[in-house]
Amino acid sequence: MKPTIVKIENLVKRYGELVALDHFSLEIKEGEIFGLLGPNGSGKTTTINCLLSLLSYDKGDIEVFGKPMKPTSYDIKREIGVIMQNVAVLDELTVRENIDYFCGLYIRDKAKRKEYVDEAIRFVGLEDFVNFRPQKLSGGLLRRLNIACGIAHKPKLIILDEPTVAVDPQSRNRILEGIQELNRQGATVIYTSHYMEEVEQICTRIAIMDHGRKIAEGTKEELKGMIRNTESVSIEILELPDEIREKIAGLPHVYETGYDGDRLTVRCSGGRHNLIRILGVLQEAGLGFGRVYSELPTLNDVFLEITGTALRDAKGE
Amino acid sequence: MFWHNLKYEFRVTIRNKDFIMWLMLFPIVLGTLFKVAFGSIYEKNDLFSAIPVAVVKTAENPIYDGVLAALTEGDDAALSVTFVNDEEAKKLLFDGKADGILYLGEKAELSVAGSGMSQTILKEITARIGVYETVLADATATMDPGKIEASLRALSAEINACREVPFTEANPNVYVQFFYNLIGMVAICGSMSGLHVATNNQANQSALGARKNISPTPKWINLSADLTGSLVSQAVCMVMSVTFIRFILRIDLGRNLPLLYAAAILSGCLGVTLGFFIGSIGRLKHEAKSAISLSVSLFLCFLSGLMVGNMKAILVEKAPWVNKINPVAVMSDSYYCLNMYSDYRRFLEKIVVMLIYVAVFTMLGILFTRRKKYASI
Repeated sequence: MKPTIVKIENLVKRYGELVALDHFSLEIKEGEIFGLLGPNGSGKTTTINCLLSLLSYDKGDIEVFGKPMKPTSYDIKREIGVIMQNVAVLDELTVRENIDYFCGLYIRDKAKRKEYVDEAIRFVGLEDFVNFRPQKLSGGLLRRLNIACGIAHKPKLIILDEPTVAVDPQSRNRILEGIQELNRQGATVIYTSHYMEEVEQICTRIAIMDHGRKIAEGTKEELKGMIRNTESVSIEILELPDEIREKIAGLPHVYETGYDGDRLTVRCSGGRHNLIRILGVLQEAGLGFGRVYSELPTLNDVFLEITGTALRDAKGE
Repeated sequence: MFWHNLKYEFRVTIRNKDFIMWLMLFPIVLGTLFKVAFGSIYEKNDLFSAIPVAVVKTAENPIYDGVLAALTEGDDAALSVTFVNDEEAKKLLFDGKADGILYLGEKAELSVAGSGMSQTILKEITARIGVYETVLADATATMDPGKIEASLRALSAEINACREVPFTEANPNVYVQFFYNLIGMVAICGSMSGLHVATNNQANQSALGARKNISPTPKWINLSADLTGSLVSQAVCMVMSVTFIRFILRIDLGRNLPLLYAAAILSGCLGVTLGFFIGSIGRLKHEAKSAISLSVSLFLCFLSGLMVGNMKAILVEKAPWVNKINPVAVMSDSYYCLNMYSDYRRFLEKIVVMLIYVAVFTMLGILFTRRKKYASI
């Protein structure tokens, strides 16, 4: 059994009347890439700030590496790397100087630090920009610098709080691959995001949050297994008589249909070949149709089914 | 960790645009402007030179010859005369080589082509010459004409029953006060770097503060290294400003330059700690605090007379306590006292006030920034 790296129990954080974290509990094992997924304002960043002892909280216990986490737990902090949502670098320093500065807050030995800084620069692919100031970097490169500043000291626990916000697809892929590489090298990762695709892509275990509560936790497969939906079929169709829609709704495994004037959506709860059966009904009725999509359930479907709101539509606090 | 932080704090400070602008370029530009704007007035007031005048004799008058000899001889000669005929005199006047034409005959008459300081002085001198001529003409009617010159000297000598005892050997020129205020302004602008120290070390003020707070470097090390870096950088700026004003602009800042440097460095520390204090209070964003700090600095400079020359005098009359507590006024007063008074009592009073400010701002700043956990971020 792998050791527990982070343990949060019954964490409660209030901002006046607002309950930001409502008896939130979590356990993260060594070697995991743990995803905290939820809409903006669901409490992800608050959880991270409490975990790092930046925020005071009203109730609960937090342990990191098996020890209680306090603001003066310097031995624990030495093993943690954090990549904040907001880029935190010094505009007056170059790329190399920034990484060296932040690495120097963790590592005293100059020779070792130089080696680590060089590795971090290579890791995020900023070799050609070492003498650039941050304002000369594009958004994606700046995010990479932000990451390098957080991981240069080779932490055992890496916390990434929405690291891909406002990042171009190329940099985003590079960042995600980098996180997986860090994990392969032995780091345990906590990754918060409201992008379900990213979380699905890299996380080995996921907790879904909403309004400060954990509403589900498990692997991707476990989470998807919690909901009825196993397949969503969308068909572009300009005309759909009610009796045909009712006929489709009566097919085996179909539990929900929707039609918005030019697109039919059918949600199925099990079994295979649902698409062939649905198209068969339309052909039998002599109805023409356009493009057809068949999608397996996503974490958005999980969120939708549990909360009744789509993840992307959920409003912040 | 301390030296690592200090090294980078220096780099950050000397590359910071605000720092370069307000603490390095601003005193150079404003000091040069002061020199250009007030320098000529200063030189005209203090370095008086003989007024060039063309003299046309329309008749021989030994009294006028004696008066002119008295006005043109010695290092402090009032006039530089050229004896010419009327036509040449007019040419000199229109060419600007003479500020006036003095016609000496039965009466002394003046002709000028414009108005200004020289012309006003010439007018006064001409009136004086007329008075002397009348007095001496009456006197010479009854005495030896060869004694006219001696009589003239006796007439023009000032008789004063009091002995002049200068209370200072310093440069009492008001114009220097502008440069003292400028040094004060550079010092108070140090509040910007102090402000950075406070906001960059608080997790609820900046992302950078959050990143530092989650590192294993204790907060007091980060804070003390950053504050030390800012204070030393500010001290360098103060030394540069005083050096520039004294040795490049060649402004006489007084007799005791080493103590002036020390007072300027202490003033810089006051500026930095004021900014540190402002940065540590409240939860406003860095930009808002920066605007507050700059506004406070400029307002204090305004009250000290940097923008309006006689502001200090106005405040002495209307609200004398303002000058006593305004840090910029205290700073510039310390330089002034150092220059003006032969004893150090007043200077030391100002130094003590500054030290108290530095201690209070530093303690309050540390008190407000020392917390390690925040209620909200």
